[in-house]
Amino acid sequence: MTTQKTSLPRQRAFLVDVERCIGCFTCAMACKNYYHQETGVVWRQLYPLDEAIYPHRERAFFSLACNHCENPACLNACPVKAYEKREDGVVVHHQDRCIGCGNCIRSCPYGAPRYNPVLKKAEKCSLCHERLDAGKQPACVQSCPVRALRLVDIAALSTTDAANAVQYPAGYPEMPQVNPSTRFIMPRTPRVVRR
Amino acid sequence: MSRRSFLKGLIASGALATLPCGLLLPRNASAAPFNKADFQIFRNACPRNCYDTCSIVTYVRDGVVRFVEGAPESTYTAGGLCVKGYSYPRRVYSPDRIKYPMVQDGRGSGNWRRVSWDEAMERIARKLLEIKERDGNLLGLALTKYSGNFGITNYGVEGMMSSLGYTTRLVGTPCWPAGIDAQNYDLGDMWCNDPEDMEKSRYVIIWGANPAWCSVHSMKYVYAARDRGAKIVVIDPVLTQTSAKGDVAWQPETGSDGALALGMARHVLDLGLVDRDFVANNAVGFEEFAAYLRQNVTVEWAAEKSGIPADEIRRVAEEFATARPATIWIGYGMQRHVNGGAAVRAIDALVAMTGNVGKVGGGARYGHLQTWGFNYHAMIQKAPAGSIGFTGKAGPKGEFDVTAGAAAAAAYTDRALNINKTAQELLDAQNPPVRVLWSSCKNPFAQDFDRNKLEKAFNKLEMVVSVEQFFTETVRHSDIVLPVTTLFEEWTVNASYWHYWVSLNEQAIAPMHEAKSNIEIAALLSKHMNRLSPGSCTYPQDIDTKEWMEKEFNKGVYDLLGITHWQDLRKGPAKAKMPSSASWSDRKFKTPSGKYEFRSDLCASHGHKALPEYKEGRKPYAPYRLLTPHSKFAIHSQFANLDWMEEFQTEPFVYLNPALARAKGIADLDTVRVFNPIGEVKLRAKITNTVPGDCLLMYEAWFRKLNFNVQNLVDDESADMGAYKTGAPGVAIHDQFADVARA
Ligand code: SF4
Ligand code: SF4
Ligand code: SF4
Repeated sequence: MTTQKTSLPRQRAFLVDVERCIGCFTCAMACKNYYHQETGVVWRQLYPLDEAIYPHRERAFFSLACNHCENPACLNACPVKAYEKREDGVVVHHQDRCIGCGNCIRSCPYGAPRYNPVLKKAEKCSLCHERLDAGKQPACVQSCPVRALRLVDIAALSTTDAANAVQYPAGYPEMPQVNPSTRFIMPRTPRVVRR
Repeated sequence: MSRRSFLKGLIASGALATLPCGLLLPRNASAAPFNKADFQIFRNACPRNCYDTCSIVTYVRDGVVRFVEGAPESTYTAGGLCVKGYSYPRRVYSPDRIKYPMVQDGRGSGNWRRVSWDEAMERIARKLLEIKERDGNLLGLALTKYSGNFGITNYGVEGMMSSLGYTTRLVGTPCWPAGIDAQNYDLGDMWCNDPEDMEKSRYVIIWGANPAWCSVHSMKYVYAARDRGAKIVVIDPVLTQTSAKGDVAWQPETGSDGALALGMARHVLDLGLVDRDFVANNAVGFEEFAAYLRQNVTVEWAAEKSGIPADEIRRVAEEFATARPATIWIGYGMQRHVNGGAAVRAIDALVAMTGNVGKVGGGARYGHLQTWGFNYHAMIQKAPAGSIGFTGKAGPKGEFDVTAGAAAAAAYTDRALNINKTAQELLDAQNPPVRVLWSSCKNPFAQDFDRNKLEKAFNKLEMVVSVEQFFTETVRHSDIVLPVTTLFEEWTVNASYWHYWVSLNEQAIAPMHEAKSNIEIAALLSKHMNRLSPGSCTYPQDIDTKEWMEKEFNKGVYDLLGITHWQDLRKGPAKAKMPSSASWSDRKFKTPSGKYEFRSDLCASHGHKALPEYKEGRKPYAPYRLLTPHSKFAIHSQFANLDWMEEFQTEPFVYLNPALARAKGIADLDTVRVFNPIGEVKLRAKITNTVPGDCLLMYEAWFRKLNFNVQNLVDDESADMGAYKTGAPGVAIHDQFADVARA
């Protein structure tokens, strides 16, 4: 499955540009549109920032799915090796091997793996690896109308316009052991003139 | 009838028996490699009355829609849709879809039973012939239709009515009429710049629009303008998601927009920043407008009316007037007031006096119909010989009135009722009263105002037929429901009133269950009418929806789009070839004077002021302002009912300011009652500073499991303008008031 190419990114990651993100849920629904998850199962979700972080309720969001961590807790907890860390950093969950023990669900500090009550197995975002391999963007990334969600290679991040991206913004758990790959650009607030 | 017994009725009738959603099986979480060749790929287009009118690419395998994407060929959609667009695969395969014609024994009883198409149509045809016999005409048959599906061939619904004779039409539009009239008085037409040229603007004011929710694809142009140094100012009484993305967010007093615009205009005048060349050579009445401003308007007055400090008004006015080009996006929200048309005229004037009309990157952007020059073949049908109709004031028209002129010569017309006062008009109509109501592309119980009054009006009707996909509240109030196709199951074509792309809509799958398109329904009705009474309906009795596409196109459309045949659109959407991305780039206005009219005598002759003068707002009838704008999860009542959408939006809330919540003893997520003389709703409250202290905010939606309906609280007060171009004045949706208390 993993084809080794010299130019392959070493750690693919989501860049969540909260400054641009309009919280439209398009990315979340695009994932549903592509995978038709069972009712109640969501791989990508929008989390509104607490007013202590952004002063206006439900006006700034983190769009989050699996973080494709450097040292995945899910992979380490899985007794049957249902998880695979690809050479491009993508953490793939192979559902055919999954026995539904729930260890990954319990151990992921970001709540990414979800329980599929119909199959009685875990499942999660595998970064649309089958689309990546066909040269397409992940469904969520392609869908974003304002390019607030992007696919980046962490190694190349410092040389891009997202050089100021942060790993642990306020409101997002700091878990250096797993070293999550998602990066964030934080929102700004307008000058509000109220009557 | 409770929701529960309604559902029970469905189960008994078998409507829930088969679950077509089974067709749309979840993919395995570690999916097979993606291979485009595994799919048949079709072109579709979202027909749901939204700015974006997205071009869709549909991936079909084994006759099932597997997923959708945005068309990459359109620079506007650029490969993406919105949250609603991506829910389409669920919409078509929803277990809740109406599957076959059904009859309800006892309106509102929930006693639905399945009937054949022939039985349903025979019933309807017999009823129509009966009322025609009784009244001597068919004015007892009324059509209510609006924008639930804007696919061009769906104008066949109007055509079906015309083919039966002269009927009653609910005309006008709840959406944008006051602003349409305003722009027609000022410019001679409603015609906006290509939204894609907004990125060339140096200063963007978004005034009463919320593109972050309602036009997501436009946001990239706003961002592009900002990336190139433009300032973004958002004006809205609510701190919307768009406001949060601006550089400056003004939250003025609701309905004070006219005063604000005039105050800004006065300051521009005082500073001598008027585009003298434009106002002298391309406009009439500027000196009179300037005299009005000097005599009646000060920045301090505008500040007092709007609550925006005078220095702030001066600052933005000056920045706007000196940044060239500068543009204002005039939203449909701000004109839904008793002074809405006057406010749009004031904003138009501000844009014009600064020389920003007719400029790339400039413009007073509102909407356009440049790409709507189809034949409307489905709509234009002849009444049967000998039909008797209405003789009185001129018959109906709408903003897409293409039969104007032709009707003038006829002895009879249809009877026009104001769609924005549907309940009252249905109650009042006499000689004959409205006996049969046909509803299609519309959900009156979610869209028409004063729901309690509407119940009374429906109770008077002898028969209600609704053409629908889901068991809405309107269906609950119907006798017969006919299942209609989704976009994937029919051929049509879609144009936008905002961008300049036109998209083909191909039939991608066979119709689910027994669904038929609106024009197929018309043909079937025609068959039954003519069988029972030969010559009683002129509509063709056999229709191939694909063949009918041919009849909608003409050389004008082809030339505009740069194509030679409509099938060329199978390769992708096409964009209109305009001389400039700017509307009015030749400064040839369609007003009586041929110039921009700061003074419009036509406007005065219609009972308004000739100048864009300030007009007072509506007096409150309850303590707090009630706003019921659009949510990001729905277009009016569509989409919020899908279980996929329920993953992200579970219930409605009323949003209120912390100060108001404190005063009322309401805690976050408390259940409250919102009430006024029209009615009441019960829901939970969210406390937020995005809403002003004197305001209650609830988003429009229809939840399949809840009784929530904003129309319980919205009356049918008219806006100032709209009758000139759309046949009936708009409605003051945002001039509503209510009180709140813990439940
Ligand atoms: S976010 Fe959770 S599921 Fe994803 S790689 Fe990290 S630990 Fe695993
Ligand atoms: S990468 Fe694919 S699977 Fe993951 S959230 Fe995005 S769309 Fe869903
Ligand atoms: S699609 Fe883009 S803008 Fe919309 S919520 Fe997702 S990341 Fe944010």
